[in-house]
Amino acid sequence: MSSAGCAETATPGRFGCHHFSVSTTLRAPRVTSLHVFCGVLVLAILARPLITSAMSAPALSIAGTVFVAVCAQALPFLVLGVLLSGAIAAFVSPAVLRRVLPASPNSAVAVAGVAGIALPGCECASVPVARRLIGQGVPDAAALTFLLAAPAVNPVVLVATAVAFPGEPRMVLARFVGSLATACVMGWLWQRFGRAEWITARARRPVETPPGTSRWLVLAETARHDLVSAGGFLVVGAVAAAALSVLVPAAWTETLAGHLVLAVAVMAVLAVLLALCSEADAFVAASLSVLPLLPRLVFLVVGPAVDVKLIALQAGTFGRSFAARFAPVTFAVAIICALLTGWAIL
Amino acid sequence: MRRETQHVLLLLLGGALLRIAADDTFLRYVRPSHRWLLLAAGAVMVLLAAIALVRDLRGARVGSHHDHSVAERHAPWLLLVPVLVIALVAPPALGADSVTRVGNSPAVLPDADVFTPLPPGGAPDLPVMEFVQRAMFDKAGTLDGRDVTLTGFAVRRGAAVELARLTISCCAADARAARVRLQGGPALDGFAQDTWLRVRGTLVPGSATPAEHYVPAMVVRSVEPAAAPSDPYEY
Repeated sequence: MSSAGCAETATPGRFGCHHFSVSTTLRAPRVTSLHVFCGVLVLAILARPLITSAMSAPALSIAGTVFVAVCAQALPFLVLGVLLSGAIAAFVSPAVLRRVLPASPNSAVAVAGVAGIALPGCECASVPVARRLIGQGVPDAAALTFLLAAPAVNPVVLVATAVAFPGEPRMVLARFVGSLATACVMGWLWQRFGRAEWITARARRPVETPPGTSRWLVLAETARHDLVSAGGFLVVGAVAAAALSVLVPAAWTETLAGHLVLAVAVMAVLAVLLALCSEADAFVAASLSVLPLLPRLVFLVVGPAVDVKLIALQAGTFGRSFAARFAPVTFAVAIICALLTGWAIL
Repeated sequence: MRRETQHVLLLLLGGALLRIAADDTFLRYVRPSHRWLLLAAGAVMVLLAAIALVRDLRGARVGSHHDHSVAERHAPWLLLVPVLVIALVAPPALGADSVTRVGNSPAVLPDADVFTPLPPGGAPDLPVMEFVQRAMFDKAGTLDGRDVTLTGFAVRRGAAVELARLTISCCAADARAARVRLQGGPALDGFAQDTWLRVRGTLVPGSATPAEHYVPAMVVRSVEPAAAPSDPYEY
């Protein structure tokens, strides 16, 4: 977004991107995004009574609370992610990353999966980090493995799972193995079948800063740029999660006891639709005590790998053509990995 | 979108996070320990926006790609949505409506098989979730014959009244309800949906049956309206 002002300038050739050129004040008034912005604010303030009375309907009120909750929950982790992303852009050179990662892409995938243990955060943090890793020359497959592994196998999530399933230590092991397997299998699949052009070119490009900019300013500008663009897509995901939390009938989970196949399918779909934070989903899964462990494991493995909030973030960061391929395949791979580890371990 | 507009949006969003973390508003959405994350995230947003504003004002030319997709160019506008929802509406904490909406599936975790004895005293305060856990799983009968005090909100189901409290792990999106059926006769009739109550009473042993969807019952000795607590959820 760093230059989007140009896109709105009617005659970019004449005035370039310099927003503070005096000429803009001398010309006939032109509508810019700042004008739109002020207009939206004034409208919103004028319409406040209408908005508040509409939001007092029970369903909308619940959705509003869930929306703010998902934003308030996820934004700090997104901020953590963009700061890391900025730090990678500013301080970690491609040469260093090449030295750290094995030369063979297939082993790089495995290393990236295990490296996911080191990022204690939710899925929102890992999207900007994975993008910056790609920008710094890490093989796509390894960066995508990191993207899938980080939110699911870090210690915070595993401890939360252990707390939620006190009598079932195997659940923690099964979640760790299932999620790591999902991440690595996706990496290897990408290595074998993926095409570089599915990832939008802008994801690979560093945020432009004038040569000679200090590293800290590169960090700040990269973090700001990533936050503004990814934040917008996070809001899309939060709106979807809030709407679905009201629209998905609770009866879905009540009638599933005794139908294993149906339970697995419904729990996989619910993991995508509800978009719970990976640190909280174990508690929700544990509370669905009418279900056997296997469908609940599927819920825990699918959720951090693919959900509506993540799909929105990935589409915004890596492009729609990427998300349209990556999300459904991840969904299928995650279900299969969860089922196999579930049968082996639980 | 112009860079200045982006900076203003980021300032507003950071300000909104700082605002809800400054008092107890954030407790409607996330757990108490999240306050520091919100303050830190809000401060970072304000700082990043301020740095960029100052640099732009000094005339540093930053960035010039022209190939952003339409979605990428307009996505930052969406940052205004949480700002407006927080500033204009500030949605309330989840309450009785969300309890009735989630239906009847039990939402209680088995916490332990062996529960510590209740604290001594006439009617010790218990979290509603712990009361339900003890009623469902406690084999030692630590609740039998004991008066306890619960604080929650009223949920009306026809003539029946339940006391409920929501438990969250991360944020309100993962809220689970703990419910207790109140048996107190006419004393309960006056309380509307979502009234906060302090209820003193005794568990009806064996009342958390599958037929009742594992919702235990309580014989109410006394009930009084209470002020809504500053943190509406249990953790």
